[in-house]
Amino acid sequence: MSGHGAKEFNIKWGMVIDLDKCTGCGACMTACQVENNIAPVLDASNKLRTLSWILVYELSNKKAAPDAEIAYLPRPCMQCGNPACVPVCPVVATDKNEEGGIVSQIYPRCIGCRYCMAACPYHARYFNWEDPVFPKGMEKALSPNTSARPRGVVEKCNFCHTRLMKAKDKARQEGGNPEALADGAYMPACADVCPTGAITFGDLKNPEHKVHELAKSEHAFRLLEKLGLAPQVYYYTRREWVRKLGDNYAATGKAGAEKKHS
Amino acid sequence: MGLDRRGFVKIVVGGVAGTLFTPVIWQSLDDVSIWSQNWGWIPSLNKGEVKAKAALSKLCPAGCAVKVNTVGGLPFAVTGNAANPMSKGGVCPLCAGGAQLMYSPARVKAPMKKVGEGKYEEIKWEDAEALLVEKLTPLKGQDGKIAAISGDETGTANEVLSAMLAGLGNTGFYVMPGEMFTATKGVKLMGGSGQPGFDIEGADLVLMIGADALDSWGTTVANQKAFAATRPTGGAVSAQYIYAGPVLNNTASVCDKWLAVPPTATATFSLALANALIEAGAVSSAADFGDYKALAAKAAAAFEAATGLKADALKELAAKIKAAKAPLVVAGASFGQGAGALDFVAAASLNVLLGRVGQQGGMTLLGNGAKAIASAADRDAAKDAASFLASVATGKATPGALLIYEANPAFALPQATEMAKAMGNIAFKVSFSTYMDETAALADLILPAPHPFERHDDALNPYGVAKATYLAGKPVVAKPVHDCKDPVDVLLAAASKLGLSLGFDTYADVIKAKASALGADYSALTAGGAWTGEAKGGPLTLGAAALAKAAPVALADKTVALAPVTRLAYGTASLATPPANTLTVRNTELLGKDLFVQMNAATAKKLGVAEGNKVKLSAAGSELKALVHVNEGVAADTAAVLLGFGRSAWDEYTKGKGDNVYKILTVSDEAGTGLKVWAGSTVTVAKV
Repeated sequence: MSGHGAKEFNIKWGMVIDLDKCTGCGACMTACQVENNIAPVLDASNKLRTLSWILVYELSNKKAAPDAEIAYLPRPCMQCGNPACVPVCPVVATDKNEEGGIVSQIYPRCIGCRYCMAACPYHARYFNWEDPVFPKGMEKALSPNTSARPRGVVEKCNFCHTRLMKAKDKARQEGGNPEALADGAYMPACADVCPTGAITFGDLKNPEHKVHELAKSEHAFRLLEKLGLAPQVYYYTRREWVRKLGDNYAATGKAGAEKKHS
Repeated sequence: MGLDRRGFVKIVVGGVAGTLFTPVIWQSLDDVSIWSQNWGWIPSLNKGEVKAKAALSKLCPAGCAVKVNTVGGLPFAVTGNAANPMSKGGVCPLCAGGAQLMYSPARVKAPMKKVGEGKYEEIKWEDAEALLVEKLTPLKGQDGKIAAISGDETGTANEVLSAMLAGLGNTGFYVMPGEMFTATKGVKLMGGSGQPGFDIEGADLVLMIGADALDSWGTTVANQKAFAATRPTGGAVSAQYIYAGPVLNNTASVCDKWLAVPPTATATFSLALANALIEAGAVSSAADFGDYKALAAKAAAAFEAATGLKADALKELAAKIKAAKAPLVVAGASFGQGAGALDFVAAASLNVLLGRVGQQGGMTLLGNGAKAIASAADRDAAKDAASFLASVATGKATPGALLIYEANPAFALPQATEMAKAMGNIAFKVSFSTYMDETAALADLILPAPHPFERHDDALNPYGVAKATYLAGKPVVAKPVHDCKDPVDVLLAAASKLGLSLGFDTYADVIKAKASALGADYSALTAGGAWTGEAKGGPLTLGAAALAKAAPVALADKTVALAPVTRLAYGTASLATPPANTLTVRNTELLGKDLFVQMNAATAKKLGVAEGNKVKLSAAGSELKALVHVNEGVAADTAAVLLGFGRSAWDEYTKGKGDNVYKILTVSDEAGTGLKVWAGSTVTVAKV
């Protein structure tokens, strides 16, 4: 990656997160933690030390009661088309070079310099300050899908990449095309568990996948679009104040402007 | 031939270049990076075939019908069961981490006997069971000497417990307070019988008064699914959702409108809305309509002062309700308990006024359902544990033995400190518990119960369902992680030794009989299905006679209404925040060991406190310390605090974090019903 312009693929895995349906229940965070073997920490209120591959933010319209409104915004890794984290990695431990556009994170190669964390404007990357310590016996409930990471490396959401591999394997076994998975054949844990179905997941480039049209909706936006990082995660809301907080209005002063769809 | 300078440089350069072209150095670097991260203390993953098994996960009060994913037979993740008509593929945040909870450090690992204050020793199961029989034998046949408290609202285990007590000549079967209890009493006050249900799925306007229906009230996941179905992403919104309650909570965050109603003004709000509807033309054929109309008019006059809202807000709401084809009012306490029956009656009466009882998308009434054990108590005859322990405290009740099934009364009852003290008056307390909770820590005998994935269990009519619903599950794993026995199996064996036959030897047999009595297919249920009956209505009055007795709550100076807040992800009355969920707690809710009290800026100003101040909330002779967080999502003159923190037992992830709001919930007797209520508790707030 040179860092100049978004890298294009035939498949672009992406999400459209409906903020009008997210109740902030936290099931996505729990399912993510379980799927990716994130060890519980004793003081989870110290948010500088926790690992939240997906983090549910609380947004407020800042109005006084009774006009106050809040919205919840789940933030996974944006899997940017033009990621800020990739060009700064001195050891190519993170890259965007696989069909589907998922930004990889290779733990054994990571030297823990944290340049990528500084570069990521979405705070989607986390550093392992400690080795993962599970309560005695809980290692028996580790998911077979993600290796446990040692201290000293950076980690982040990878759209549950093992699930992609498994979906492709299944397609191969069933005589299908692993490069043309059906809508819903591959789902990250957060999208899978969400009780209100707020997270729609699929190939943004495939017209047969729901996300293809949803991402083009007038209610869809991306976070900090003005930075030009071309995230593959879209948000959806009918509430203008929420869209404005996504910073999408900066270019023209109007919400929903400056949309760049691939 | 000597080596000249030029030759030496050639060799060095050639060597370096050659090394760069061999994979050795790169491979070594790669290996080093792998070796340096591949330490023995980094846990390795489990191997084996990955399977998914249907299960009933009763970690949340309603119970989620889920699929448990296993690797080599070991559960590791929970996913939704799309085939189940109740959960429809959704999972709540507690059940999502269910597999990890099997290995919770808080689990009771073996039967334990108290040998001193706070000291226990492990004993064998046969000794534990013998001790249970030995302690119950002299109390047999003396009413009031054996009591039981159940924290499970839906399981047939309650039939076994109540039938066992009845067989031993006792009537002291109590349930932990919940919506089901007060709502069933409320229905009685409206001249009906049974447990109310709410057809959220069929409604086109859902007004939730208090009920946190999209997060912690009723069948949360089913409610969320019903809500989501009316607003497909990218499609048209087909139902309006409105929340009226003290806190802009998870439910209110996605509603079309939030009306900030302090917890002390719930009934006033409901009745004032009734007045607005009546003014807009609503009439009812109920016999007590005249009295009701007068009460509604009285409430409307007090509305603005009691709620801090403008009367226009009610008019707008009434117009929306009138315009809706299938409006539904969901009645409940904002934290799932402690509201009197009158708050329920006031809200539920709106369904009667609108003619929505028994209608599609309306309020329904569910019967008790066929019993597996004929001598068991009827479900709607349940008595509440708070009143019982209050009479133990005053010496009115003097049980010699208390059986506690999946309940945590020492933590999760109002005025928790007194409740825990009252338990000290009971000579022999047995806790059937999966986890070392505050009640188990006070018990004389702790009998470890299996985790939901290790046991047979069932759920009939989880509170909120519109039609009779029955779910059942069987163990996912061959053997429990610890030395557990199913509490019902233990009770049945004890009953048998006490000379009482309930007709069953195991809980699995009881559940099979229950399924058969209901006409359900047990195998289909344990394969992840659900049995459902018909949705029914019934004649109800507007409850005017009961509502006339409701007394308004007045706030003294420096006193605010207390709004305890529940979030399902943070645990329930019988489950502390699971280790996998601590991450979801915000640092504006809990910071280190400090809990936050949330209030809006106007309330903070009135109380003379500011963001970050350490304050003391006092009531009921107890106090709670917290930090102030100014949050505009809290109603006027209200302090909101999260429930479920301040644990003194459990594990290092929860113990000593925050403070327990139950301590400062004040119990009072509800006028006219005599029920114990604490949803309208008030507190004084002072800077520390």
